[in-house]
Amino acid sequence: MTKTPSTVKITVNGREVEADPTKPLIAACHEQDVDVPMYCYHPGLTPVGSCRICQVEVREGERPPRVVVACRTPVSEGLVVNTEAPAAHEARRNCLEFLLKDHPLDCPICDKAGECTLQDYTYAEGQTTGQSAEPRQNFEKRKSLGDKIVLDQERCILCSRCVRFFEEVTEKPQLTVAGLGSRSRIETFGDRPLEGNYQGNITDLCPVGALTLKQFRFQARVWNLFKKSSTCGECSRGCSISVEVLRLGEVKRIRPRYNPKVNRWWICDTGRLATEDANPEGRVPALQRGYSGLEACEVDAALGAVRAAHQAHERNLLVVSPWSTVEEGRALLQLAKALGAEPLFVSPPASGLADDLLNTGDPCPNRRGLEELGFTPRTTEEVLELLEASETATLFGERVAELVGEEALRALSASQRVFLFDVAPLDAPCVAAFVGLANWVERPGTWVNVDGNPGRIQAARPAPSGIRQPLALVEALRPMEAASR
Amino acid sequence: MALPAPLVAELTELVKKYPEKRAGLIPALHRCQEELDGWLTPETLEEVAAFFELEPVEVYGVASFYPMFNLRPVGRHVIGVCHNISCDLRGAQEVVRQVCELTGAPVGGTSPDGKFSVRTLECQGACASAPMFDLDGVYHEDLDSAKVAEILGGLS
Amino acid sequence: MIPGGELYLLRRGELKESHTLAVARKDGAYSVLEAVLKEGRDPAAVTAEVKDSGLRGRGGAGFPTGLKWTFMPDPEKDKRSRYLAVNADESEPGTCKDRVLLREDPHGLIEGCLLAAYAMRLDAVYVYVRGEYRLPYQRMQAAIDEARAAGLVGERILGSDFSCEVHMHKGAGAYICGEETGMMESLEGKRGHPRPKPPFPAGFGLWGQPTTVNNVESIFNVPFIVERGAAWFRGMGTEASPGNFLCGISGHVERPGVYEVPLGINAKTILQEYAGGVWKGRALKAWIPGGSSTGLLPGELIDTPMDHDSIKAAGSMFGTGAMIILDETACTVRASQVIARFYDHESCGQCSQCREGTQWLSEIFTRLETGRGTAADIDNLERLARNMAPGKTICALADAAAIPTLAVVRHFRDELLAHVEAGGCPLESRPSESRAGEEVPA
Repeated sequence: MTKTPSTVKITVNGREVEADPTKPLIAACHEQDVDVPMYCYHPGLTPVGSCRICQVEVREGERPPRVVVACRTPVSEGLVVNTEAPAAHEARRNCLEFLLKDHPLDCPICDKAGECTLQDYTYAEGQTTGQSAEPRQNFEKRKSLGDKIVLDQERCILCSRCVRFFEEVTEKPQLTVAGLGSRSRIETFGDRPLEGNYQGNITDLCPVGALTLKQFRFQARVWNLFKKSSTCGECSRGCSISVEVLRLGEVKRIRPRYNPKVNRWWICDTGRLATEDANPEGRVPALQRGYSGLEACEVDAALGAVRAAHQAHERNLLVVSPWSTVEEGRALLQLAKALGAEPLFVSPPASGLADDLLNTGDPCPNRRGLEELGFTPRTTEEVLELLEASETATLFGERVAELVGEEALRALSASQRVFLFDVAPLDAPCVAAFVGLANWVERPGTWVNVDGNPGRIQAARPAPSGIRQPLALVEALRPMEAASR
Repeated sequence: MALPAPLVAELTELVKKYPEKRAGLIPALHRCQEELDGWLTPETLEEVAAFFELEPVEVYGVASFYPMFNLRPVGRHVIGVCHNISCDLRGAQEVVRQVCELTGAPVGGTSPDGKFSVRTLECQGACASAPMFDLDGVYHEDLDSAKVAEILGGLS
Repeated sequence: MIPGGELYLLRRGELKESHTLAVARKDGAYSVLEAVLKEGRDPAAVTAEVKDSGLRGRGGAGFPTGLKWTFMPDPEKDKRSRYLAVNADESEPGTCKDRVLLREDPHGLIEGCLLAAYAMRLDAVYVYVRGEYRLPYQRMQAAIDEARAAGLVGERILGSDFSCEVHMHKGAGAYICGEETGMMESLEGKRGHPRPKPPFPAGFGLWGQPTTVNNVESIFNVPFIVERGAAWFRGMGTEASPGNFLCGISGHVERPGVYEVPLGINAKTILQEYAGGVWKGRALKAWIPGGSSTGLLPGELIDTPMDHDSIKAAGSMFGTGAMIILDETACTVRASQVIARFYDHESCGQCSQCREGTQWLSEIFTRLETGRGTAADIDNLERLARNMAPGKTICALADAAAIPTLAVVRHFRDELLAHVEAGGCPLESRPSESRAGEEVPA
């Protein structure tokens, strides 16, 4: 048996390139940034060759040129490919005509509009006038597949990506093509809802608006979304994501970004549906405890109070959130040193969401980054004990109150004197001052994931007016160190 | 409700013919349909799935592909009339009409008394003895209106 | 070349109880296998005999059987399990010949299977019978059981070193499971979705192992070829299409039936002398040579030899050799509608052009037949059919729907136009047993 070479030379649109013979021709084209349309093909799933859209013209040796589906064509030495041949375009146009014949004219109300490849390819290739006089078939149109997904069987073009995703990626089939021929439709067994923490991926995979996310339904037109690359913080996997914000306001959607080292094309639903947590309410720049409780104040005033307290006390506790970035961590390390405090981060219990796929079950996005800097993890119980033993406690970072335990914090007496730097305030008696922070979609930084891969977060929108960047606040807390010793 | 033990024993034996168990799925579905209710209930599909170590949705996907599998209840007698070309040329349309009239069942449906289900079928391989129908798994060929009446009249 | 040669395919089936081992064996069943085993004949020699005979597949594609056998990998180099899958799915409209062989001479088929298994050095044979053929299946199963008990199937056949299992398997009513890769998917317990080719079954077949798929009638020929030799076989039929074949003739004829005739016999001879001519003294309007996928021809072309090359030259295909006859009262538009409806029902649904196209063709023919068609529809039929085939899909079902469409537009455009102008079927007024004057339901 001859050994498969590691690469072969093929010619794509006149350019000689190296191609991986273990992958189909369409992958070679895409890797060279050459467009070849696709529906049933996806690099993360087994190719089936059913949609017939990925047609390109090839020439092998002396054989006359022929049009083939690129997803089922192997790359062979000397293969010549023309993705723009008139015959290829003709084949795609004809294929589109068949797909559009029964496709409902839902674009005006369909969430997928603007990122729908049926729209895109038709615009690029198709004839503009429909030739079908036949009434379109009726299937189930707003079928709930559980609490996350809606299925519109009429829009479905039967690419079967969703079926294969559950079979191959989660390894638990949940969807099937039921019936055959023109009566085919996607179904679960007996109308059962979908299960598991990876359902949302089928809405990315679906080329059209047949499978949509309930969370995103009618929320925004995708062309109005500002998209920023970022990293998910819901666990220490740190999947690469795209954070999508509507008009500098709410995060409307979170979607995976391809990262071959971390998450490939997928994210879990916990990360995907973190949109709600990304848009917290009740945020204020700063609060200080006065006679009638926590009152709004200037940030600098609050900072001054914190600095003064640090200066006045010996036993200062500093506990940071595992959502702190590496950059913030470095600055917090300096602060800890200045305070004579041990650098600690709160390490909450496992989430119970760990699985064989992506979710690590560890709700700390930057555990590894902070540990490598020299921070020591402490459980919530340990933190509370330390809190009670300290004279002042500074809790710093996004979600630190939640992770230490809001209920436990509320139970502490007013004499505890906690300075809370977090995204949303906590009205607990122990909180002497609060300073608001920009959250993970409002600030840049680096988290290091469980395997040591660094993941960047970026600001996808500005923080609300008056609310500052954590890094700046840490640095603002430091100058007092010169005076503390 | 679990599959009856004799049926399970039969299926256990049946799958030995194949290097992979799943190959016995379609013959197994036939046997289940024949032995239990005349149609494949959701419970039956789940039991079959368990036997083959598959997910119910996979078994459902397979069963729904094949016209011989009934995924809805059927009447006591099932009559399938071929309406493909050789039969159509020799009067299949008349047979369909007569069968529906005599049974009270519409094409693709069941008679109100639950006695008969009538459906049209594609080519059954009886083209040289057209028109025909399949009654409960038995072909009746070279039909004419007298024969149809006789065959259906003889049913309880 | 030679019309009127000896009959060998249906002969044993004429005997009483021909399906039993006692009768079949007395008649010579398994004697060829026995001779081959006793002699220890080189399996390659058996393959060579079949190849030299020029036997072409009888399932519709007409691919040379012996040549297909040579595609199996060398068992010395490729140690995977090897199979023969016999295609007894027989669902091509008009075709009812394999049914006769399975039912009347199962031992003849089993012997053919075993000889094929010997030649290709196989581990097992699976016979995939369409689910509706209950009696044929039962007869085959009983025959296998008898043969096994007599040491003719299973371990060390007839005391030799040759072992082979023969298993029956049942389909469940889908035409697409007659496509060789759709059949293998179905046999594996899945939806009958044809597989893209390459890879071909000889390299990746049942459970990914080397497999040859052959039609019932093809395998049935094997014992005769092995016993009497390639030259004997070539003495019948034509040079490019040797041998006898089972011609099923149906539709508007006096004596529909399955007749054994040599390839190359004139279609008119079959019609007139075997089937008694067009029934009721009527004229021949149109005929389909080889099952609905081959596309109809006008009556004038009945004077054509029934062999692969001649029928192709006439503008259709030999297919399964199943002739369907339409008399002067038949409506070719209705016939096209019935046939288009069939492909719409049977498309597996994978390929966009076939899933949507088969439905579209069916809808257009229905509108034309029921008076809601336009002249543009006729052009559209042709355009759509050309966009569905050839070679644009995973399997040839799209081709099978497109070809009859192009044929009716080519040969009976006037009749299509007449429907448009008349706002319905102009033949409606003619009395005809084949029509109740009603809409054909979808």
